[in-house]
Amino acid sequence: MSQVIASGANSFLSGKPLRFIAATILLVNGMFPALWILFTSLKTEAELTQKPITWLPHTPTLANYMQAFSDQPLHMFLFNSFMVAILSTCLTLLVSVLAAYALARLNLKYRGLILSLIIAVSTFPLVTLLVPLFEIMRALNLLNTWVALILPYTVLSLPVCTLMLVSFFEGIPRDLENAAMIDGCTRMGALFKVVVPLCAPGVFTAGILAFVNAWDEFLLALSFNSNPGLRTLPVGIQLYQGEFAFPWPVISAALVVGIVPVAILIVIFQERVVSGLTAGGIKG
Amino acid sequence: MTTSTLTKTDRTDRQPPAWTKMLDLSDRALAVLLLAPAAILLSLIIVYPVMRLIYTSFFSLSLTSGLPAEFVGIENYQLMIEDPVFWETTWNTVLITLITVPGALFVGLGLALLANIPFRRQWPVRLSLLIPWALPLSFAGLIFAWFFHSEYGVVNDVLSRFGIEGVIWFNSPNLAFAAICLTIVWKTSSFMALIILAGLQTIPRSLYEAADVDGAGRIRQFFEITLPLLKPAIVVALIFRTITALQTFDIPYMMTGGGPGTSTATLAMYIHQNTVSFLDLGYGSALAVVMFALSMCVTAVYLRIIRTKE
Repeated sequence: MSQVIASGANSFLSGKPLRFIAATILLVNGMFPALWILFTSLKTEAELTQKPITWLPHTPTLANYMQAFSDQPLHMFLFNSFMVAILSTCLTLLVSVLAAYALARLNLKYRGLILSLIIAVSTFPLVTLLVPLFEIMRALNLLNTWVALILPYTVLSLPVCTLMLVSFFEGIPRDLENAAMIDGCTRMGALFKVVVPLCAPGVFTAGILAFVNAWDEFLLALSFNSNPGLRTLPVGIQLYQGEFAFPWPVISAALVVGIVPVAILIVIFQERVVSGLTAGGIKG
Repeated sequence: MTTSTLTKTDRTDRQPPAWTKMLDLSDRALAVLLLAPAAILLSLIIVYPVMRLIYTSFFSLSLTSGLPAEFVGIENYQLMIEDPVFWETTWNTVLITLITVPGALFVGLGLALLANIPFRRQWPVRLSLLIPWALPLSFAGLIFAWFFHSEYGVVNDVLSRFGIEGVIWFNSPNLAFAAICLTIVWKTSSFMALIILAGLQTIPRSLYEAADVDGAGRIRQFFEITLPLLKPAIVVALIFRTITALQTFDIPYMMTGGGPGTSTATLAMYIHQNTVSFLDLGYGSALAVVMFALSMCVTAVYLRIIRTKE
């Protein structure tokens, strides 16, 4: 099978030197910015302000990391980002599993309409709702709480996750559920004991996408949570800039700290993430 | 899995056996129950706010003045038409979209063609496409602000090695704008590449072999086999990219803060400024309605393409 679908489009590029050049371009493009910020974070202030600039750090130091944690409550930023991302991911998964099951398994009259609506919502610009969401969160006294971010983040990922799970659920044979129900499971029991475990890879992939979406979000976090103790990482990192000074090595250290959790997730689950992303992108 | 196959599934096989009704809720009750959480969330976070947004845009509502909301009709929109900053930020947003969406497509196509080469190890290639995608936009903005730093930035360092004198990127509106566009293209092209790569890998080799037999050259094969077969994947990716480009906020906010002046500020930044900094909710809403209308146009095109495909 893999031979059949291996593309011939590039076979003229498969000579060894060309392959080397291609790999170099890809790796430099993908990794250089992150590596550069890692190098910067390991340099001393003196080395950083020396000209011509050095590429690799001459005397690597971890002092910037210490300072990143002591200058600002970086551990709190991490904790807030983590909790908001995890909680919104769980909520997204729960809500989208239920909705996707209904769409995949029940004989719905307006199924086509509902799917179109979900696709329309998946492209919704949440930025435009800054004012009304701000007002709603203010009215509900939710400004400066995790909830103010968890709810919008859930909605941000809900459409894509639901569409992904619908297609996963449709791949699970109906007989397995029916068998469970004959054995006395209720329909919901069958969903959570049979369908969800069988779709675990799909549910997991949807979860990673939701997590990364929430981890990355900046505008709403910036607008709704001004309390320093509740800032998420992207918002908190701005606090390192003084009025005139821009402590790049410390900022770099904080950035590295913020990149590492997602990088670990990506390294471990790369194949799954790619399949999830492309399933989401090719849908429609 | 495509939506066309989702909706075309035979309806009869979805009919549950009669005995489930005795054991369980009726289908309709269950459907309502299962869809309710999603519907409630979407109503609270999207439907109600959209109505509220349009409503508020007809009011003068400034939290700093302390005055109650006052109905002013289309005054906010009239103000907007006369507001040069509105036009400038809208133009910047459109320009960013027009530059970075095709930019990300071409760079992404290039990266995908390179990544499609059969390397012995696939994971470094995959990772190098995933890392830019997973990096938060705001982080990418900061990292590239450091890249383009006039004194210690790596961009000016590389330029000087080629004998080109470094420039102060963020002092000139055009250079700052170029730096922002480059950053956005870098950040978004790898997602484009992943989508295109997935499309490339579904093209059967036999098509190229047949073209070889017919004597078609590589370039002709690319334009007559590869591109047409990639079109569906590319169109969807382009539409998503266009809608996110219209919302551009994080990268210019982090790199220039909109400066110098307001020369690199986007519509989203102007909405944010009016809402959060000036607390002028009426005007902020009117601005958001414009952006909403812009992206709804793109979404309408998208839904239409999907429907014609079905």
